[in-house]
Amino acid sequence: MAGPIIPSRKRELLSPRLVDRLLAAWTTLVLVFLYLPIGVLVVYSFNSSRLNIVWEGFTLKWYAALWDNGPLLGALQNSLVVAAVTTAVSLVIGTVGAWLLYRYQFAGHRLIHALVSTPIIMPEIIIGISLLSFFSTIAMPLGFTTVIIAHVTFCFPFVLIAVQARLQGLDPALEEAALDLGASPLRAFWHVILPSLRPALIAGGLMAFTLSLDELVVTFFTASARSATLPLRIYGMAKIGLNPMLNALSTILVAVTVAAILFSAQLRQLFRGASGGPR
Amino acid sequence: MRVLRRTLLSAIVALSACSAALPSSEVNLFAWTEYIPQEVIDGFTKETGIRVNYETFSSGEEMMAKMLSGSASYDVVQPPDYIAEALIQAGLLRKLETQRLPHLANILPEFLHMPHDPTQSYTVPYMTGTVGIVVNTRVVTEPIRGFKDVFQPSHAGRIVVLNDNREMVTWALYSLGLRANDLSPENIERTRPILAQWFKFVRVFDSDSPKTELLNGDVDLGVVWSGEAAILYQQDPKFHYIIPAEGVHEFVDVVAIPTQATHVAEAHEFIDYLLRAEVSKKISDAFPYTNPNGAARRLLSAAQLANPASYPPAGPRDTFRAIGKTSQQIDELVTDLKNSR
Amino acid sequence: MLTPMVLWLVLFAVLPMAILFVYSFCSRDDLGRIVFTFSLENYSRVFDPRYLHIMVRSFGYASATTAICLIMGYPTAYFMARRSEKIRERLLVLVMIPFWTSFLIRTYAWIQILKGSGLLNTVLGSTHLIAAPVEWLYTPAAVMIGLVYSFVPFMILPIFSSAEKLSNDLIEAAHDLGAGPLRVFTTVIIPLTAPGIAAGVVLVFVPTMGMFAVSDILGGAQVPLIGNVIQNQFLQARNWPFGAALGIVFTLLFAVSYGLLQRRPRWDRAASA
Repeated sequence: MAGPIIPSRKRELLSPRLVDRLLAAWTTLVLVFLYLPIGVLVVYSFNSSRLNIVWEGFTLKWYAALWDNGPLLGALQNSLVVAAVTTAVSLVIGTVGAWLLYRYQFAGHRLIHALVSTPIIMPEIIIGISLLSFFSTIAMPLGFTTVIIAHVTFCFPFVLIAVQARLQGLDPALEEAALDLGASPLRAFWHVILPSLRPALIAGGLMAFTLSLDELVVTFFTASARSATLPLRIYGMAKIGLNPMLNALSTILVAVTVAAILFSAQLRQLFRGASGGPR
Repeated sequence: MRVLRRTLLSAIVALSACSAALPSSEVNLFAWTEYIPQEVIDGFTKETGIRVNYETFSSGEEMMAKMLSGSASYDVVQPPDYIAEALIQAGLLRKLETQRLPHLANILPEFLHMPHDPTQSYTVPYMTGTVGIVVNTRVVTEPIRGFKDVFQPSHAGRIVVLNDNREMVTWALYSLGLRANDLSPENIERTRPILAQWFKFVRVFDSDSPKTELLNGDVDLGVVWSGEAAILYQQDPKFHYIIPAEGVHEFVDVVAIPTQATHVAEAHEFIDYLLRAEVSKKISDAFPYTNPNGAARRLLSAAQLANPASYPPAGPRDTFRAIGKTSQQIDELVTDLKNSR
Repeated sequence: MLTPMVLWLVLFAVLPMAILFVYSFCSRDDLGRIVFTFSLENYSRVFDPRYLHIMVRSFGYASATTAICLIMGYPTAYFMARRSEKIRERLLVLVMIPFWTSFLIRTYAWIQILKGSGLLNTVLGSTHLIAAPVEWLYTPAAVMIGLVYSFVPFMILPIFSSAEKLSNDLIEAAHDLGAGPLRVFTTVIIPLTAPGIAAGVVLVFVPTMGMFAVSDILGGAQVPLIGNVIQNQFLQARNWPFGAALGIVFTLLFAVSYGLLQRRPRWDRAASA
């Protein structure tokens, strides 16, 4: 019996393995680019100079100082709460919206499509100002509610776009099959479509969370002192110099998240093992 | 899905309810970011039990914008002088009950009855300063006496200036022999060629933290707030501060009570607290600007008083007056010049 | 069909914009408050050559940023999408994590890297790639670096989402039919990931046009972008009506371009037919 047939592609210059290697190298470079300032940020969290402009010496005092800084930690808490709520609401509105747009052709389809794009094509400052004008016109006091409303307004279109991009390649036969088997449209959506949208939901949710967490401009116009988020506080501190305490805070945030994803696999195993499920 | 949504809605309602149920004894402060040290605020709350809600702004105009948009009511505001003047003219500031401000006597006489508040009834000075020239004398060895010496080809690409349109026009006015508030349309136009020339040499426009560029050595001299220069001097005495010979703008940041304030008694208490010598000293410790509080100055260290940026030699000064719509012409001028770089 | 989404948008996007639209025909008083007298002055100011010049400059920066983000982001997103499920999601989070730190601190970190005595010059100098420190900061290059840095994830995420559903079978099939890697790329992969690319382009281009902080901090505020002008109207200049007019024109420009883009040939439909 002759040996395995060597496919002709092995003799090509750009074998899939080489392409994969090149892509891996490119991705690594991009990740290095993304984490370069993060590395600098971490290093400077140990800078003994309060002005944190020039490196003066090594110290851990800023990490200690964080514990005492009520306002800063309060702002962090606000940011996390706002981001979490924003992501949740955005996922709901964005996903349902994208699905309905895709699934049902109804009058004014074009108009609604255009409507959905509005928060995306408006510059942040216009979103902020228009919402401030709106809230003061209806005499709504600024606070957590207004901040969350503002965040959701510009975050959910990202979820929508991510879900739409995914839906466009979805096999329509999937839903048909579910319906044929007697499922209601809602059940079909929940049990069949939603799981296949998972990557888009994760991508969109991640984007919404990130956008909300680091949002400055819109929050600037729609927040009150009580609901001040971390970016707002940091922006205020820029004038007197960005204290290394802020670097320390960011470092901890990054460290916790990186640790979480590194150990998430272990955590998942733990839960699966505990529940005694298969796999 | 429905349960999730309901939970979220109730969470949002709960959150907003929390923010609405406030204790009665409090004061809503609207001030520059990081301009009032946290320890001063905490000290006030500890002593009086009044809670301070500290909301911030990063420019005088932002302050106006938020105050005028009416979606929040403040009890104590901290405007710059020319904004205070505009607010007084518009009837937005409440007359102070001076009998509730015994420590007002601590303020040095030259900072009372100033042009923005000639009757001294609406505002109390908080901190003052000047806008002058800072020089890294280790790199720039020749004497710098005024704006003309700064904007020379020898310093091309090594200059930082404030990113403040009105400030820049003011400096040009000074170099023409005019005063800071001589803002007629013709005078503003006369600054155009001067600024066009100056902009060629500027590397950075920065109102937030010009000390960054100076400390990093990316620029060697500039025109900055005296507080920035004072911090630089504290870092390294090679940074000298010079009052420009052509003329200098002095700014006075004040505290005042808006007419829409709801906690008037607490507001007065807070302002009087700020006027106390030992409290004002704490503010000086944190922000090395020029303290208008004479009693506080007596508590400062020799080093603090010797800082040339904090306490420069006396001389003629101009404060900004309210200019209303003239700012539009100034804006367009500077935009044009930056556009054509 | 009154889905929550439409209701939300009408309340919090359309109505606020309508209010701004009204403002844009107003003027301001000496104090900076809005005076409700009808005037077209703001719109005639918007079309002044100086602001058009600024728009064009902003367009240039935004296009360049989008192009670079696409070049950087596409291969990365594609690579990520082809990994195993566990690694895929980890890589995704890894890409986003830098953006959970504060934007200001990240940008100031770039100052540390790009300044005269900074990391970049130190590295380049020690490897003798440059003779003297280069002035990276406060130049258009620095602004570009800052802009690209801020928006690369927005290019990666939608392309990732799109590329993820590419089935290996399709690509294998194309290979088996004798197509070289380049042909497979252009005739199979690109069309199928087109929705992701389109989304990424929009998600990078539009916000970049409205950016002002990066050019202020890394560019030394030397050249005004349209974002700076708009921000200035609402903060320093206190001319809300003019700012509103600028914002409306700006948004309309995008609305029109976006609408035109929507009419493009649907590659994905052709590909899956």
